[in-house]
Amino acid sequence: MKNYKDFMSEILIDEKTLKNRIRDLGQQISRDYAGQELLLICILRGGVVFMVDLMRQITVPHSMDCMAVSSYGDGARSSSGNVRLTLDLQTNIEGKHVLLVEDIIDSGRTLSHVLQMLRTRHPKSLKVCVLLDKLERREVDVPVDYRGFDIADKFVFGYGLDLDELYRNLPFVAVVDMKRYPGKG
Amino acid sequence: MSPITMQDYTEFIDEVLVSETVLQQRVAELGEQISRDYAGEELLVVCVLRGGIIFAADLIRQINVPHELDCMALSSYGVGNYESSGNVRVNLDLEVNIEGRNVLLVEDIVDSGRTLAQVLEMLGTRGPKSLKVCVLLDKKERREVAVACDYVGFDVPDKYIFGYGIDIDEHFRHLPFIGCADLSKYRKPELA
Repeated sequence: MKNYKDFMSEILIDEKTLKNRIRDLGQQISRDYAGQELLLICILRGGVVFMVDLMRQITVPHSMDCMAVSSYGDGARSSSGNVRLTLDLQTNIEGKHVLLVEDIIDSGRTLSHVLQMLRTRHPKSLKVCVLLDKLERREVDVPVDYRGFDIADKFVFGYGLDLDELYRNLPFVAVVDMKRYPGKG
Repeated sequence: MSPITMQDYTEFIDEVLVSETVLQQRVAELGEQISRDYAGEELLVVCVLRGGIIFAADLIRQINVPHELDCMALSSYGVGNYESSGNVRVNLDLEVNIEGRNVLLVEDIVDSGRTLAQVLEMLGTRGPKSLKVCVLLDKKERREVAVACDYVGFDVPDKYIFGYGIDIDEHFRHLPFIGCADLSKYRKPELA
Protein backbone atom coordinates (compact mmCIF):
# COMPACT_ATOMS: atom_id res chain seq x y z
CA MET A 1 0.00 0.00 0.00
CA LYS A 2 1.20 3.47 -0.86
CA ASN A 3 1.76 6.17 1.65
CA TYR A 4 -1.19 8.55 1.44
CA LYS A 5 1.19 11.46 1.08
CA ASP A 6 1.99 10.19 -2.42
CA PHE A 7 -1.50 10.89 -3.69
CA MET A 8 -2.94 13.43 -1.28
CA SER A 9 -3.41 16.80 -2.92
CA GLU A 10 -4.27 18.72 0.23
CA ILE A 11 -5.49 18.47 3.79
CA LEU A 12 -9.02 19.87 3.55
CA ILE A 13 -9.76 19.99 7.29
CA ASP A 14 -6.99 19.57 9.80
CA GLU A 15 -7.23 17.79 13.13
CA LYS A 16 -7.57 20.91 15.23
CA THR A 17 -10.31 22.43 13.07
CA LEU A 18 -12.22 19.13 13.14
CA LYS A 19 -11.94 18.90 16.89
CA ASN A 20 -13.12 22.47 17.46
CA ARG A 21 -16.05 22.10 15.10
CA ILE A 22 -17.14 18.83 16.71
CA ARG A 23 -16.98 20.44 20.13
CA ASP A 24 -19.18 23.28 18.81
CA LEU A 25 -21.66 20.80 17.31
CA GLY A 26 -21.77 18.89 20.60
CA GLN A 27 -22.49 22.09 22.52
CA GLN A 28 -25.19 23.14 20.07
CA ILE A 29 -26.86 19.73 20.23
CA SER A 30 -26.65 19.75 24.03
CA ARG A 31 -28.36 23.15 24.14
CA ASP A 32 -31.05 22.17 21.64
CA TYR A 33 -31.94 18.99 23.52
CA ALA A 34 -31.57 20.43 27.03
CA GLY A 35 -33.90 18.63 29.40
CA GLN A 36 -34.51 15.82 26.90
CA GLU A 37 -33.07 12.42 26.26
CA LEU A 38 -31.57 11.67 22.91
CA LEU A 39 -30.80 8.62 20.79
CA LEU A 40 -27.85 8.93 18.44
CA ILE A 41 -27.83 6.67 15.42
CA CYS A 42 -24.54 5.93 13.78
CA ILE A 43 -24.53 4.79 10.18
CA LEU A 44 -21.77 2.24 9.73
CA ARG A 45 -18.93 2.29 8.90
CA GLY A 46 -18.05 5.82 7.77
CA GLY A 47 -19.83 7.54 10.65
CA VAL A 48 -18.07 5.66 13.44
CA VAL A 49 -15.14 7.96 14.08
CA PHE A 50 -17.26 11.13 13.90
CA MET A 51 -19.92 9.67 16.16
CA VAL A 52 -17.64 8.53 18.95
CA ASP A 53 -15.98 11.94 19.05
CA LEU A 54 -19.29 13.79 18.82
CA MET A 55 -20.99 11.81 21.59
CA ARG A 56 -18.20 12.65 23.99
CA GLN A 57 -19.06 16.33 23.46
CA ILE A 58 -22.77 15.89 24.15
CA THR A 59 -23.76 16.55 27.71
CA VAL A 60 -27.47 15.66 27.66
CA PRO A 61 -28.32 12.03 28.54
CA HIS A 62 -28.15 9.94 25.43
CA SER A 63 -27.86 6.43 24.15
CA MET A 64 -26.50 5.28 20.83
CA ASP A 65 -27.36 2.65 18.29
CA CYS A 66 -25.96 1.56 14.94
CA MET A 67 -27.41 0.88 11.51
CA ALA A 68 -25.80 -0.64 8.47
CA VAL A 69 -27.28 -0.11 5.03
CA SER A 70 -26.41 -1.23 1.55
CA SER A 71 -27.97 -0.87 -1.85
CA TYR A 72 -30.04 -3.25 -3.92
CA GLY A 73 -28.39 -1.81 -7.01
CA ASP A 74 -24.77 -2.25 -7.92
CA GLY A 75 -22.09 0.30 -7.28
CA ALA A 76 -22.09 2.98 -4.64
CA ARG A 77 -25.09 2.95 -2.38
CA SER A 78 -25.71 6.63 -2.94
CA SER A 79 -26.23 6.20 -6.66
CA SER A 80 -29.04 3.67 -6.78
CA GLY A 81 -32.58 3.20 -5.64
CA ASN A 82 -33.82 1.53 -2.52
CA VAL A 83 -31.77 0.98 0.57
CA ARG A 84 -31.31 -2.43 2.10
CA LEU A 85 -31.03 -2.52 5.85
CA THR A 86 -28.26 -4.95 6.77
CA LEU A 87 -28.27 -4.07 10.46
CA ASP A 88 -31.39 -2.61 11.97
CA LEU A 89 -31.58 -0.72 15.26
CA GLN A 90 -31.78 -2.60 18.52
CA THR A 91 -33.74 0.27 19.97
CA ASN A 92 -37.41 0.97 19.35
CA ILE A 93 -37.39 4.65 18.41
CA GLU A 94 -41.09 5.27 18.94
CA GLY A 95 -41.54 8.45 20.98
CA LYS A 96 -37.81 9.13 21.14
CA HIS A 97 -35.74 12.09 20.01
CA VAL A 98 -33.51 10.66 17.32
CA LEU A 99 -30.40 12.21 15.81
CA LEU A 100 -28.95 10.44 12.80
CA VAL A 101 -25.17 10.87 12.52
CA GLU A 102 -23.49 10.56 9.13
CA ASP A 103 -19.98 11.19 7.90
CA ILE A 104 -20.90 12.67 4.52
CA ILE A 105 -23.88 13.49 2.32
CA ASP A 106 -23.66 13.79 -1.41
CA SER A 107 -26.71 12.86 -3.51
CA GLY A 108 -28.80 12.51 -0.36
CA ARG A 109 -30.60 9.45 -1.73
CA THR A 110 -29.50 7.00 0.95
CA LEU A 111 -30.16 9.44 3.74
CA SER A 112 -33.55 10.32 2.35
CA HIS A 113 -34.57 6.66 2.24
CA VAL A 114 -33.32 6.01 5.74
CA LEU A 115 -35.20 9.03 7.11
CA GLN A 116 -38.40 7.98 5.38
CA MET A 117 -38.11 4.53 6.84
CA LEU A 118 -37.34 5.77 10.35
CA ARG A 119 -40.31 8.17 10.25
CA THR A 120 -42.68 5.25 9.83
CA ARG A 121 -41.64 4.22 13.35
CA HIS A 122 -42.95 7.45 14.89
CA PRO A 123 -39.99 8.98 16.67
CA LYS A 124 -40.76 12.04 18.76
CA SER A 125 -38.33 13.95 16.56
CA LEU A 126 -35.85 13.04 13.86
CA LYS A 127 -32.88 15.19 12.97
CA VAL A 128 -29.69 14.81 10.99
CA CYS A 129 -26.12 15.66 11.92
CA VAL A 130 -23.57 15.35 9.15
CA LEU A 131 -19.87 16.09 9.28
CA LEU A 132 -19.33 16.85 5.59
CA ASP A 133 -21.90 18.17 3.16
CA LYS A 134 -21.21 18.01 -0.57
CA LEU A 135 -24.05 20.31 -1.54
CA GLU A 136 -23.08 20.41 -5.22
CA ARG A 137 -23.90 16.74 -5.52
CA ARG A 138 -27.38 16.91 -4.02
CA GLU A 139 -30.10 15.18 -6.06
CA VAL A 140 -32.73 14.79 -3.35
CA ASP A 141 -33.75 17.39 -0.85
CA VAL A 142 -32.85 16.31 2.69
CA PRO A 143 -32.98 18.45 5.80
CA VAL A 144 -29.59 18.73 7.47
CA ASP A 145 -29.99 20.10 10.98
CA TYR A 146 -26.36 20.08 12.06
CA ARG A 147 -23.55 20.38 9.56
CA GLY A 148 -19.84 20.25 10.27
CA PHE A 149 -18.47 21.59 7.00
CA ASP A 150 -19.64 22.36 3.48
CA ILE A 151 -17.13 20.86 1.11
CA ALA A 152 -16.49 20.95 -2.62
CA ASP A 153 -17.15 17.98 -4.87
CA LYS A 154 -13.76 16.36 -4.43
CA PHE A 155 -12.75 12.84 -3.50
CA VAL A 156 -12.10 12.99 0.23
CA PHE A 157 -10.73 10.51 2.75
CA GLY A 158 -9.69 10.25 6.39
CA TYR A 159 -11.53 10.69 9.69
CA GLY A 160 -13.80 7.70 9.12
CA LEU A 161 -13.98 8.02 5.34
CA ASP A 162 -12.13 5.34 3.48
CA LEU A 163 -10.29 5.10 0.24
CA ASP A 164 -10.73 1.49 -0.86
CA GLU A 165 -11.29 0.64 2.82
CA LEU A 166 -8.06 2.21 4.05
CA TYR A 167 -7.17 5.47 5.81
CA ARG A 168 -10.27 5.74 7.99
CA ASN A 169 -7.90 6.26 10.92
CA LEU A 170 -6.33 9.50 9.70
CA PRO A 171 -7.15 12.33 12.11
CA PHE A 172 -7.87 14.82 9.30
CA VAL A 173 -9.96 15.00 6.12
CA ALA A 174 -7.87 15.07 2.97
CA VAL A 175 -8.40 15.27 -0.78
CA VAL A 176 -7.16 12.61 -3.20
CA ASP A 177 -5.37 13.56 -6.38
CA MET A 178 -6.87 10.79 -8.51
CA LYS A 179 -4.14 11.11 -11.15
CA ARG A 180 -1.61 9.98 -8.57
CA TYR A 181 -3.79 7.44 -6.77
CA PRO A 182 -2.78 3.94 -7.84
CA GLY A 183 -5.86 2.15 -6.55
CA LYS A 184 -5.82 -0.55 -3.96
CA GLY A 185 -2.88 -2.88 -3.49
CA MET B 1 -42.03 14.10 25.63
CA SER B 2 -38.92 12.20 26.50
CA PRO B 3 -38.30 13.55 29.96
CA ILE B 4 -35.03 12.65 31.55
CA THR B 5 -35.47 9.49 33.53
CA MET B 6 -31.83 8.62 33.81
CA GLN B 7 -29.89 9.54 36.91
CA ASP B 8 -26.77 11.61 36.71
CA TYR B 9 -23.81 9.27 37.06
CA THR B 10 -22.37 11.34 39.89
CA GLU B 11 -25.23 10.04 42.05
CA PHE B 12 -24.12 6.42 41.85
CA ILE B 13 -20.47 6.37 40.85
CA ASP B 14 -18.33 4.57 43.39
CA GLU B 15 -14.98 5.46 41.90
CA VAL B 16 -13.25 6.32 38.65
CA LEU B 17 -11.46 3.08 37.88
CA VAL B 18 -9.49 4.33 34.87
CA SER B 19 -9.17 8.07 34.26
CA GLU B 20 -9.32 9.69 30.83
CA THR B 21 -5.57 10.44 30.82
CA VAL B 22 -4.61 6.91 31.80
CA LEU B 23 -7.03 5.47 29.23
CA GLN B 24 -5.75 7.60 26.37
CA GLN B 25 -2.15 6.83 27.27
CA ARG B 26 -2.82 3.09 27.36
CA VAL B 27 -4.72 3.19 24.06
CA ALA B 28 -1.73 4.94 22.51
CA GLU B 29 0.63 2.28 23.91
CA LEU B 30 -1.56 -0.51 22.55
CA GLY B 31 -1.61 1.19 19.15
CA GLU B 32 2.20 1.41 19.16
CA GLN B 33 2.57 -2.20 20.20
CA ILE B 34 0.13 -3.38 17.52
CA SER B 35 1.89 -1.24 14.89
CA ARG B 36 5.24 -2.82 15.83
CA ASP B 37 3.85 -6.35 15.83
CA TYR B 38 2.24 -5.97 12.41
CA ALA B 39 5.03 -3.92 10.84
CA GLY B 40 5.18 -4.67 7.11
CA GLU B 41 1.77 -6.36 7.20
CA GLU B 42 -1.77 -5.25 6.51
CA LEU B 43 -4.40 -5.63 9.15
CA LEU B 44 -8.16 -5.88 9.44
CA VAL B 45 -9.52 -4.41 12.66
CA VAL B 46 -12.88 -5.90 13.64
CA CYS B 47 -14.98 -3.86 16.03
CA VAL B 48 -17.57 -5.74 18.04
CA LEU B 49 -20.63 -3.49 18.33
CA ARG B 50 -21.73 -1.59 20.25
CA GLY B 51 -19.48 -1.61 23.31
CA GLY B 52 -16.23 -1.73 21.37
CA ILE B 53 -16.96 1.23 19.15
CA ILE B 54 -15.25 4.01 21.08
CA PHE B 55 -12.22 1.91 21.91
CA ALA B 56 -11.87 0.74 18.29
CA ALA B 57 -12.26 4.25 16.86
CA ASP B 58 -9.62 5.61 19.24
CA LEU B 59 -7.31 2.62 18.82
CA ILE B 60 -7.19 2.77 15.00
CA ARG B 61 -6.05 6.35 15.21
CA GLN B 62 -2.99 5.07 17.11
CA ILE B 63 -2.21 2.29 14.63
CA ASN B 64 0.12 3.31 11.85
CA VAL B 65 0.25 0.13 9.77
CA PRO B 66 -2.25 0.02 6.88
CA HIS B 67 -5.54 -1.34 8.12
CA GLU B 68 -9.20 -1.67 7.33
CA LEU B 69 -12.06 -1.44 9.80
CA ASP B 70 -15.07 -3.72 9.81
CA CYS B 71 -17.86 -4.26 12.32
CA MET B 72 -19.79 -7.20 13.73
CA ALA B 73 -22.97 -7.16 15.80
CA LEU B 74 -23.80 -10.14 17.99
CA SER B 75 -26.61 -11.27 20.20
CA SER B 76 -27.56 -14.43 21.97
CA TYR B 77 -30.05 -17.15 21.21
CA GLY B 78 -30.50 -17.46 24.97
CA VAL B 79 -32.34 -15.19 27.33
CA GLY B 80 -30.76 -12.11 28.81
CA ASN B 81 -27.14 -11.06 28.59
CA TYR B 82 -25.34 -12.75 25.72
CA GLU B 83 -22.13 -13.14 27.71
CA SER B 84 -23.70 -15.62 30.03
CA SER B 85 -25.74 -17.81 27.73
CA GLY B 86 -25.36 -20.29 24.90
CA ASN B 87 -24.75 -19.81 21.21
CA VAL B 88 -24.00 -16.50 19.61
CA ARG B 89 -26.15 -15.09 16.86
CA VAL B 90 -24.50 -12.86 14.29
CA ASN B 91 -26.75 -9.88 13.57
CA LEU B 92 -24.24 -8.14 11.36
CA ASP B 93 -21.54 -10.16 9.73
CA LEU B 94 -18.29 -8.79 8.31
CA GLU B 95 -18.35 -7.18 4.88
CA VAL B 96 -14.76 -8.27 4.36
CA ASN B 97 -13.74 -11.81 3.50
CA ILE B 98 -11.05 -12.53 6.10
CA GLU B 99 -9.46 -15.47 4.30
CA GLY B 100 -5.71 -14.95 4.28
CA ARG B 101 -5.98 -11.71 6.26
CA ASN B 102 -4.47 -10.63 9.56
CA VAL B 103 -7.48 -10.07 11.79
CA LEU B 104 -7.53 -8.20 15.08
CA LEU B 105 -10.78 -8.45 17.01
CA VAL B 106 -11.40 -5.42 19.25
CA GLU B 107 -13.66 -5.77 22.26
CA ASP B 108 -14.46 -3.47 25.14
CA ILE B 109 -14.52 -6.10 27.85
CA VAL B 110 -14.11 -9.83 28.36
CA ASP B 111 -15.65 -11.57 31.32
CA SER B 112 -16.79 -15.18 30.97
CA GLY B 113 -15.10 -15.36 27.59
CA ARG B 114 -17.92 -17.44 26.13
CA THR B 115 -18.98 -15.01 23.42
CA LEU B 116 -15.43 -14.23 22.47
CA ALA B 117 -14.48 -17.91 22.30
CA GLN B 118 -17.40 -18.61 19.98
CA VAL B 119 -16.70 -15.68 17.72
CA LEU B 120 -13.05 -16.67 17.46
CA GLU B 121 -14.00 -20.22 16.63
CA MET B 122 -16.38 -19.03 13.94
CA LEU B 123 -13.89 -16.58 12.42
CA GLY B 124 -11.21 -19.26 12.57
CA THR B 125 -13.22 -21.43 10.18
CA ARG B 126 -12.81 -18.76 7.50
CA GLY B 127 -9.06 -19.27 7.22
CA PRO B 128 -7.58 -15.95 8.33
CA LYS B 129 -3.81 -15.68 8.12
CA SER B 130 -3.78 -14.69 11.78
CA LEU B 131 -6.45 -13.97 14.37
CA LYS B 132 -5.71 -11.98 17.50
CA VAL B 133 -7.71 -10.25 20.19
CA CYS B 134 -7.34 -6.79 21.68
CA VAL B 135 -9.50 -6.13 24.69
CA LEU B 136 -9.63 -2.93 26.69
CA LEU B 137 -10.80 -4.43 29.98
CA ASP B 138 -10.23 -7.95 31.21
CA LYS B 139 -12.36 -9.24 34.09
CA LYS B 140 -10.20 -12.29 34.71
CA GLU B 141 -12.08 -13.35 37.85
CA ARG B 142 -15.15 -14.04 35.76
CA ARG B 143 -13.48 -16.25 33.17
CA GLU B 144 -15.26 -19.52 32.45
CA VAL B 145 -13.69 -20.36 29.09
CA ALA B 146 -10.02 -19.99 28.25
CA VAL B 147 -9.47 -17.35 25.58
CA ALA B 148 -6.16 -15.88 24.59
CA CYS B 149 -6.21 -12.07 24.78
CA ASP B 150 -3.16 -10.88 22.88
CA TYR B 151 -3.50 -7.24 23.85
CA VAL B 152 -5.09 -6.19 27.13
CA GLY B 153 -5.64 -2.60 28.18
CA PHE B 154 -6.36 -3.14 31.86
CA ASP B 155 -7.15 -5.99 34.21
CA VAL B 156 -10.25 -5.00 36.16
CA PRO B 157 -11.93 -6.45 39.23
CA ASP B 158 -15.39 -8.00 39.06
CA LYS B 159 -17.31 -4.77 39.57
CA TYR B 160 -20.15 -3.09 37.72
CA ILE B 161 -18.41 -0.75 35.34
CA PHE B 162 -19.49 1.86 32.82
CA GLY B 163 -18.17 4.56 30.49
CA TYR B 164 -15.93 4.66 27.42
CA GLY B 165 -18.29 2.56 25.32
CA ILE B 166 -19.72 0.47 28.15
CA ASP B 167 -23.31 1.22 29.02
CA ILE B 168 -25.62 0.95 31.98
CA ASP B 169 -29.13 0.51 30.59
CA GLU B 170 -27.88 2.02 27.30
CA HIS B 171 -26.55 5.20 28.90
CA PHE B 172 -23.12 6.57 29.83
CA ARG B 173 -21.19 5.10 26.90
CA HIS B 174 -19.90 8.56 26.08
CA LEU B 175 -18.07 9.16 29.34
CA PRO B 176 -14.35 9.52 28.67
CA PHE B 177 -13.35 7.41 31.72
CA ILE B 178 -14.23 4.02 33.20
CA GLY B 179 -16.28 4.24 36.37
CA CYS B 180 -17.53 1.68 38.93
CA ALA B 181 -21.20 1.90 39.85
CA ASP B 182 -22.52 1.52 43.37
CA LEU B 183 -25.65 -0.43 42.48
CA SER B 184 -27.32 0.36 45.80
CA LYS B 185 -27.45 3.99 44.67
CA TYR B 186 -28.49 3.28 41.09
CA ARG B 187 -32.14 3.50 40.00
CA LYS B 188 -33.24 1.94 36.77
CA PRO B 189 -34.77 4.49 34.41
CA GLU B 190 -38.54 4.32 34.21
CA LEU B 191 -39.72 2.55 31.14
CA ALA B 192 -41.50 4.95 28.82
